[in-house]
Formats: sequence, C-alpha cells, structure tokens
Amino acid sequence: MTESTPILELDNVSYSYTKGGKKVLHGISHTFRTGEVYSITGPSGAGKTTMLSLISGLASPTEGRVVYNGKDLAKQDRYDYRSHDIGVIFQSFNLLPQLTVAENIILSMDASGKKFDQPKKDIAVRLLEQVHLPAEYANERILHLSGGEQQRVAIARALGYDPKVIVADEPTGNLDMATQDDIMSIFRTLAHEQDRCVIIVTHSPEVAAASDEVFELAPLRRHL
Amino acid sequence: MFVVKNAWRNVIRNKGRNILVAIIVAIIAAAATIGLAIRQAAVTARETGLENTTITAQISFDRSKAISEMRESSSSSDSSSSDSSDSSDSSSDSKPDFDAMREAMSDKQLSLEDYEKYAKASSAVKSTYYTETAGLAETDDVQPVEDSTSSSSSSSSSSSSDSSSSDSSDKQSGDGQQGQPGGQGGGDMGGGMGGMTMTSGDFSLVGFSSDEAVANAENGTFTMSDGEVFGYDSDSDGDVIISKELADFNNLSVGDTFTLENTSDEDTTYTFTIVGIYENSTESSNQMGGPMGSTASDPANAIYTSVSTLKSLGLDSDSTVSTTDSDGNTTETAAAQLNYTYVFSSKDDYEQFVSDAEKAGLSDDYTVSSADVEQYESSLVPLDNLAQFALTLLVIVLGVGAVVLVVLTLFNVRERKYEVGVLTAIGVKKIKVAAQFTFELLVVTMIGLALGAAGGAIASVPVSNQLLAAQVAQQESQASSQNAQFGRDMQGPGAQGGSSDSSSDPSSDSSSDSSSSSDSSSDSSSSSDSSSSNGAPSQPGGNGPRGMMGQAVSYVSNVNATVNLKIVGQLLLIGLGLTLVAALVAVVFVMRYEPLQILADRS
Repeated sequence: MTESTPILELDNVSYSYTKGGKKVLHGISHTFRTGEVYSITGPSGAGKTTMLSLISGLASPTEGRVVYNGKDLAKQDRYDYRSHDIGVIFQSFNLLPQLTVAENIILSMDASGKKFDQPKKDIAVRLLEQVHLPAEYANERILHLSGGEQQRVAIARALGYDPKVIVADEPTGNLDMATQDDIMSIFRTLAHEQDRCVIIVTHSPEVAAASDEVFELAPLRRHL
Repeated sequence: MFVVKNAWRNVIRNKGRNILVAIIVAIIAAAATIGLAIRQAAVTARETGLENTTITAQISFDRSKAISEMRESSSSSDSSSSDSSDSSDSSSDSKPDFDAMREAMSDKQLSLEDYEKYAKASSAVKSTYYTETAGLAETDDVQPVEDSTSSSSSSSSSSSSDSSSSDSSDKQSGDGQQGQPGGQGGGDMGGGMGGMTMTSGDFSLVGFSSDEAVANAENGTFTMSDGEVFGYDSDSDGDVIISKELADFNNLSVGDTFTLENTSDEDTTYTFTIVGIYENSTESSNQMGGPMGSTASDPANAIYTSVSTLKSLGLDSDSTVSTTDSDGNTTETAAAQLNYTYVFSSKDDYEQFVSDAEKAGLSDDYTVSSADVEQYESSLVPLDNLAQFALTLLVIVLGVGAVVLVVLTLFNVRERKYEVGVLTAIGVKKIKVAAQFTFELLVVTMIGLALGAAGGAIASVPVSNQLLAAQVAQQESQASSQNAQFGRDMQGPGAQGGSSDSSSDPSSDSSSDSSSSSDSSSDSSSSSDSSSSNGAPSQPGGNGPRGMMGQAVSYVSNVNATVNLKIVGQLLLIGLGLTLVAALVAVVFVMRYEPLQILADRS
C-alpha cells in the first residue's frame, strides 16, 4: 500500500453528549489517507455514528482534535468544511423530496460556493453516470426513486463539489446484496481511481471485507 | 446568490402555501392602503383646504362669561331688542339691570385704536379692513325701501353667519337672546352688525376703509350699474353709493345729493352726494338681523361710503350718541358699529396672530375667531372621524396581519425543519438558510403587497367616500337632533315676532342644505362659498329665524383618497416591517435547529 499524506486524522478524540457526562467515544486516534476505503465497524452503541459526525464536522469532539489536511477542524468554519471538503452520505439519504434528482445534486454544488467550469446540470448528469444511474433520472422526483436509487443520488450529491473525503453512514443498510456490491464498487472506484478518502460506517461484514482497512470500535467500556 | 436562487425556487415550488400567504398579505395591504389613503387625504384636505383662500378673523368680546352671568340673573338682553327670546321664560324672575349690563358690555367694545394695535402687534397679518355702520333716519325727500314683510323681521338674531359655525348651539342661543352687537366671530363681517345703532335708523350708512372692505361687503358683492365707487380720502367725503332699489325708489341718480337725519336728533342732518349706484350681485351673505322692523337691515337701504365720510360726520365708532329708550333711560352708545377684520394668507398666520395678540395684551375677555377656520374645522368633523376610523382599522389590520403572518411562518419553518437540517448538514450556513426563508417570505409578501396595493388603490376612493358619506350622515343626524333640541328654544322669538310660518323651516332647511351641498366637494372646502349658499335662504325680511338657525355646515364629504407614491412607500415599509417580524420568528427557529439533531430524529 502506498504511503500518502494523511488527509484526515483523529487525534485522541473523545466525545460526550453532555459536558462531563458519559463518554460515547474515548481516546480514539486514527489516520485516514486518500486513495483508500475505510470501514468503521463495531457493535451497536459503540459510537460509530458519533465518530462519523465528528469526521463530517457535524459535531465537535469534547477532547482531542480532528485534523483535516493538517489543520484543526475546531479552528475552521465547520460549515465551510462540510460544504467544501467532505461529502457526507447519510443513512437516511437526506435528499429533499420536493426537488428533482438534478436539483438535489446542484443544491450541494450551489451550497459549496465553488465555481464550476461546466454547466452544473452537465456535471450532475455525469455524476449520475458515475453512480450507475441513467441520465433521464435527472429530472425525476426523489420520491419516485427506490431506496437504492436514492442512495446513488445521495452519493452523487456528495460528489457534486468534488470533495476529497467521502463519509457514508450505513450506505448499504437497507439494500439488497446486488445493489450493495454495486455501491461498494462505486466507493472503491472513488477511492482508488479518483484518489479520495472514503470512510464507511457499517455493521455489515461484507462491506467491511470489501474495504481496504477496517477500524473496529471496541464496545464501550466504563471508565473510572 | 445561492440564497436568492434557492428562495425563488422554493417560492415557485410551494405554490399553494405561498398563494395563501400572498392572499392574506394582499388583504392586509388593501386595508392598509385604504387606511393610509384616507389618512393622507384627511391631512391633505386639512392642509390645503385653507391654502388658497385668505382667512379673515375678528376679535370679539367673549361673551360666554357674560352669558353665564346673564343666565344667572335671567337677563334676556342688553340691547334695545329687549323683548327677545327669553323674556317669557324669565318673566317670573326679577328684572335684570339692563343699563348696567349694557354699559358693561359697551365698555368692552374695542376701539379702532385697539384693533389697529393688535394688527401691528403681529407680522402675520396680511391686511386689515374695517367697516363702520351707523344708522340714519329718513327725511321727507328720501324714504327707505320697504316692503310688507320687513316689518315682521323681528328676529333678534345679530348674525346669520354665526350659525354656520359648529359651536353654534350654545353661543347662538346666547346670541339670539341678546341680539348684542359686536359679533362673536361671525361671518366675514361678523356679528358687528345688527344691534343698537341700527335699531333706530331707517338707513344703514356703511363706511368702508378700503376696496378690500368693499369687496367683502356684508350684503354681498355688488356691481356698479352707474357711476363708480367713492374714494377713501377726505376729498371724497360725502360721496356715497346707493343701491339701485333705493335710487329707483326715491328717483335718485348719480350726481344727485340727498339729506338724511340723525336717528336721535332730528335737527342734525347729513348731506350726501351720490357718486354711484350699485346692484347687489350676490345675495347677502349676512342677514342684517335688524331688530324690530328696522328698514336699515334691508340691503337695499344700505348706503355705502368711506369711513372718512363717517368720521367727518361724527358718525364713526369713536363718537358717541345718546339714545333714550322707552323707559326714559338715556344711554351713550357709539355712533357707529365698528367691524374690524384681519386678513391672513394662511391658517398658520391666523394662529400666529392669535398668540401674538395675546402677547400684545389682549385680555381673556376677548377671543380671536375666524369663521373661515371654524367653519372649516367643523366641515372636517366627518373626515376627522373617518381618519380616526382609518387609523383604528390600520392598527387592527396590521396587528392581526402580523399575528397571522407569524403563525404561518412558524408552521412553515416547522414543516420544513427537515429541509433546514439537510441544508445545514451539507454545509449551508444557518444564517443563509434563515436568509433564504426570509427572502422567500419577502417575495411572497411583496407580491401580496403589490396585489393589495393595486386593489386598495382601486377601492380606496369609492370605499373612503362611502365611509365618509356614512360619517357625514351620522354627523348630520346628530346636528339635526341638536337642531331639534335647540331649535324649539331658539325659534321662539322668531315665532313670537310674527314670522311663525318660517319658524319651522330652519331645521329642515339646514339639513337639506347640508345634504345638498355635501354633493360637491369644492363647495365644502371653501367656506365663503358655503356661507353664501347658506346665507341665500336667510334673506332679510320675514326669514329672520332662519338665519339664526342656518346651521348648515357643509361637511367635507368627498375625500380624494387616491394612492400616491408616498402611500406606496409607507405600504412598502409596512410590508417590510411585517416581513421582518415574521422572518424574525423563522430566523430564531432556524438558528435553534441543529442539523445533527434533526437528521438523527428522522432516522
């Protein structure tokens, strides 16, 4: 495996919902590099989703640092970080049902504030292609899509502004095996061919097996 | 840019809800437009109504104190028309001391110097003029024009123009009862006429100080049918102009001279040269309430000359004459009744003068009053009521509108909580999301506002006139009920005086007058117009009480509540204000949402 500079680093990160309360995560340290697919596994309640929230900048660690590209996330605008640098694929997709597929993708592109050298619609269609969806889906309403198709749109949306890090929360949770495999192949392509860092939170052994590195969160221990 | 674009897309997307909001805003805006238009029209009417007309004002003795004193002592009169109104009522009471009363009152009359002093005291006075009216007795050569009805004009009313002022009832009853000269802020020339000097004369010799005074002649404007108007310097002393009726009656023509007697002293005679013959072109704006059948009150028997003439004859207001009444009491009264008028170019100047005159030492016993202003004020009563109503409407509509808008926004934001979560999760800053919601609301409210303003602009003129008509009708019914209440008391003397046929007329006349004049807005805004139209029916002669009762205030009944840029601007401010209030709610909610929380709740 080739050594590349870490794009994202967890440095002794702890998290608790309330100050001084029960710690959901305790002293986690890990390094993520581009070009690889990581899986974060662990039993229910081990803090998988919390860790993903910390990585995606939706939450701040109570202790330790999340370092992106050598910079402490706590010192950056987490909204900018979310809109520019990291693509998040939520467990429940979190697409806007009243928008079309293309509008959902373009929405994240608009939100990033980045400039694009092509018409956004074209980029959206190209992204749909990447996630193995036909171009005519672009003008389809989200609600008319199946779960697997929505998942693909969510991935496409996350890719819209070309982030270096892709984070996915249980991306295959309620999908059939064939779709699951296809989604994983997409993630691998993103990591290996487009040199992104893909971090997948999952409890599925198949997904874990399909990724390059597995980071297992230990069951929560009591600390004194 | 993203915010605006996204907001616009959302506006298009959520048609149903936004149309609902727009309709609500449109209704609010329409009501607000009408309210604002009415208020503005009221303000404009108030400001401009007296803008182009000069205002005349007079200083008069405030007799309300005297009246109350007199009521206590049941004194019905201090003038020679002593058998007026209340005499029957007071018959059971002790006789008041007429002489003392009369003296007290006549002491209070301001002299020419006094008037001039106050005129100089204020820079606001545009010009002044005055007339002096003296009575003259007939000679064998010259007889007054007289018709059968004039003998019944026993009204004790001193001024008909008084009646057009809104404070009518009280003061008027005082007037009517006293028949006192000196006028209390009556019409152009006010109540200075009538009363004592005229009582004993057959002719009224009216001295004018200037052309302006002539132009505002009490008997209305006139045209010269022959000759020309006298001059005002002493060279023209003795020059007079007489009415065509009088000239024809006595077969006089320009160039002739004639002689008249002093009313109290038959040996004193005055000779005048006729330099012109005039014809009254408008009906008298003032009923020359000549008491007790004096022919001097007939406009036909008015002899016009300069004040200089009166002065040279010793008939001016600074001179005195002794009169002996039927009881044998001799009293000294001014030879002529002075009627001094201040002219102002605007209402502000008038108000300035009121305060200036006070500073210059005008005591509390006197009031400066302007019939123009008073009548104008009273004509604005319905409009003021309407403006008040409009304000209430505005406040209620805006209050309800704000609440409705806030509630709708609240539901909107809660409903779109998930959207907020997604947007913030993909990195759209909360403030941008809040801005987007605000902008959406703004777009919708502006559309509603435009529709409402358009609707309001179309509706405001008819609606406001409709509302105003209701106000006027209400005001008139109040006025007529007051008329009925006071009318019985006040018509008493007229009926007793013999013109009982006309005693029932006034109330009906006045109400019909006002309703008919309410059709025209131009009339109502110009007080001189309306007073002359009011004055028309109150011709001298048998119609005495009518003048007294001519309460027909022509209310401002047509309001030009058009929507202009200023109102649109105000409306825009209101719209922005409402939007801001509602948006504030949206902002607070959006800022409170945590994306993680929302999305976690959902999954």
